Amino acid sequence: MGRVGKGVLFQRTIPYILLAPCLVFLFCFKFLPIIISFRESFLSPLYLGHGFIGLSNYLDLFTDPTFWNSLKVTFLFNLIITPFQITISLILALLVNLKLRGIGLFRSVFFFPVAVSMTITTVLWGLMLNPQSGLLNAILKVFMIPEQPFLSSPNQALFSIIILCSWKGVGYWMIFLLAGLENIPQEVYEASVIDGANRIQTFFRITLPLLKRAITFVVVADTVINFLLFAPIYLLTRGGPTGSTNLLMFEAYSNAFVYANVNRAAAVTSILLIIAAIIAVMEFKIFKPEFEY
Amino acid sequence: MNQTKKKRTSNARSIIYYLLMSIIAIMFLIPALWGISGSLRPRDEIFRYCNPISWRTFISENFNLEAYQEIFTDEVILYTRALLNSLFISFSAVALGLFVNSLAGFAFAKFSFRGKNLLFILVVFSFMIPFEIIVIPLYIMVKAWNLIDTYYALILPAVANGLAIFLFKQFFEEIPTSLLDAARIDGASVPTTLFKIVLPLSKPVIICVALILFLGQWDALFWPLIAVSRNDMIVVQVAIARFWGEYSVEWGNILAGSTFAAGVPVCLFLFLQKYYVQGIVKTGLK
Repeated sequence: MGRVGKGVLFQRTIPYILLAPCLVFLFCFKFLPIIISFRESFLSPLYLGHGFIGLSNYLDLFTDPTFWNSLKVTFLFNLIITPFQITISLILALLVNLKLRGIGLFRSVFFFPVAVSMTITTVLWGLMLNPQSGLLNAILKVFMIPEQPFLSSPNQALFSIIILCSWKGVGYWMIFLLAGLENIPQEVYEASVIDGANRIQTFFRITLPLLKRAITFVVVADTVINFLLFAPIYLLTRGGPTGSTNLLMFEAYSNAFVYANVNRAAAVTSILLIIAAIIAVMEFKIFKPEFEY
Repeated sequence: MNQTKKKRTSNARSIIYYLLMSIIAIMFLIPALWGISGSLRPRDEIFRYCNPISWRTFISENFNLEAYQEIFTDEVILYTRALLNSLFISFSAVALGLFVNSLAGFAFAKFSFRGKNLLFILVVFSFMIPFEIIVIPLYIMVKAWNLIDTYYALILPAVANGLAIFLFKQFFEEIPTSLLDAARIDGASVPTTLFKIVLPLSKPVIICVALILFLGQWDALFWPLIAVSRNDMIVVQVAIARFWGEYSVEWGNILAGSTFAAGVPVCLFLFLQKYYVQGIVKTGLK
């Protein structure tokens, strides 16, 4: 009797023992930093005594035109890049899902930039985008398009960043969408062919709705990643020209490590986190899968 | 008759598909090919053949490894050391991460316990928090714990990974519970069951998680840039950023350093891509 009881107790504690290391790590390196970040955002910087100052950091931000510009740039960037990347990666996923000979080669080609780091992507594209000696203007020349200033123009810098991020990013989302496509049972397609649906009808009436779950995941994850883009801005534009690429994550970095005001930076990241969370929840609601298969 | 006609249209269609995919593939490959060729030519030649475009843009007549020689012997930016550092922290994170996350995934997949749903929601929430956003508070913490300029600062934050736990959980759920019950009746302990029965059946998800963890570490820039300032502790991405930030920029060195640093994960992914895709298909989106 006692032995059985002991066995049950052991069974009950086992999942907690299995989870313990992971939870400790998650707490220390994910949740604790967020709690600290919120706390720091209500304190004054070290050189001003590090005392509680309520919402001052936030109020300061809301009266700072640099912050508002940064917020505007971040939203503009996301409004363009997320739909753009998801459309491209959906097209790529549909293409590499075709049963054609040698399709694995194309899959690899579209996917390899995922393994290239953001730093290297940025360096490579930085050289390609050079207005005078870069390869991109040479390619445009072949198509009779005049030389473009790219990163040195406030009108084109953000779009240049979008192109370089998409080169690296779309292959990653392609794999998730491809996984979604491969999980759609073949019989569904066969049924739609028997019903006389053409390709376009099949795509919009069958593929797209059944892909909703994968698309939801990709939309939310892509949004969060794009909201927090840092490396290309840090390496290429430093927020310029004239603040046109000053994304919030870089604004946070500047506050913390250029102006040595970690608390103001904490306020920026707290705002970013809240915005990203709100948008993610909204996206989950909008794209919520309506049925199972 | 009808069938041959159908076949022909599908052939025409596949030619269009091939053409379309080839154009996209070229767009994907151009930056990489240009970068690799730039790293293999004399440095005064890197931009010379860019404009107008010709075969010379991508292939050099004067094959040259000078840039590689230089980065591996550079005494200011210790590139070789950075490679070794990156290898070390990446493998450490993979080893620790596989262990810790598989334990957690196993608990979520095969046990029922109080607070399970809440804990799982926390895990999912944690992978919605990207690393970049916690870099600044993490810096404050790591500084308080005196871990700045240590390998711990680079490795430990990357160990627990919500996505990894999620993938393990989904994969383990597919393993029949009857198999585990049989093992328990035979007297196998929980660790034995996990390590001798469950994990050997989970090759795709193990490789998938290992790749995710490896890439996360190998490609990290923001956190190592801040957490480590000692010259002999830099990681490979920081080394490249430093090549880039120097006052007299040696483009050849940057391209050589980038080619080498990108080559490692690209080769890994190309060899293991099958498992990666399988891992995600079988788990991630069900």
